[in-house]
Amino acid sequence: MAQLQLSDAELVARCRRGDPDAWRQLVERFSRYVYAIAVQAYRLSEPDAEDVFQEVFSRVYERLDQLRSDSAIRPWIGQLTRRICVDKLRERSAVELPEEEVELAEADEKLDGVEQAWLVHELLAGLSDPCREILDRFFARDESYRTIGEALELPSGTIASRISRCLATLRRRWDDEEGRIKAPPASSGQIR
Amino acid sequence: MSGYDEERLAELIAALPPPPEAWVRAAQELPHAKATMDDIVARATADAEYRQQVIADLESALALAGFEPRARLVDELRARLRES
Repeated sequence: MAQLQLSDAELVARCRRGDPDAWRQLVERFSRYVYAIAVQAYRLSEPDAEDVFQEVFSRVYERLDQLRSDSAIRPWIGQLTRRICVDKLRERSAVELPEEEVELAEADEKLDGVEQAWLVHELLAGLSDPCREILDRFFARDESYRTIGEALELPSGTIASRISRCLATLRRRWDDEEGRIKAPPASSGQIR
Repeated sequence: MSGYDEERLAELIAALPPPPEAWVRAAQELPHAKATMDDIVARATADAEYRQQVIADLESALALAGFEPRARLVDELRARLRES
């Protein structure tokens, strides 16, 4: 979460030049997105989600040169992830029950939620380090006040009020951005 | 999209938890892993004895190269040796 200073396009360009640090950042930046699609939208088991996760980044690494627009990396990764998740479900439904259609319809609804979560995630990345850290640790990492207090060297009695203040800041940012930010359609990919 | 209150924003933050660290690390090591496999395959192509050793124990070949021999890497190395 702390490495969002480069634009997506700059990051992709550096990856193409073989910059290993850029690749690490790219994986870090999109890891939650890929994970959320696999686990929340398609409800894959952890082993299947791990297969999907590694396959997505393997294909991204191998096919980065085929991406038409460097700034389109996230929709491309989203499309790749969805396709690989569907392949995984088909693989499973071939040996289990033919519930694929129901699962895919549910996945479409959940994908919208993942896209909205991504927008908030991007906004969160623009907050100050302490606010970003405390909100991420409490809500996304599900850490206790005590764990957060120890990690950030804060009295645990102040954590709740800090969370509240930081959420209010995030809400103001959201309101400021409202109208400018629109969720991209979940199916806007570039290539397989 | 409009009218999000703090509660909804909190739900959306929670909707993107981090994946297990080991998954991220493995994906971050991909370029190094692929380069290492290139080396192993090239050496195996040139050296029949080494090839036999690697095929007999793919996990050790990867471990010696500094990688945790995860199933995915083992499968990829096996496939690449088969193709070489």
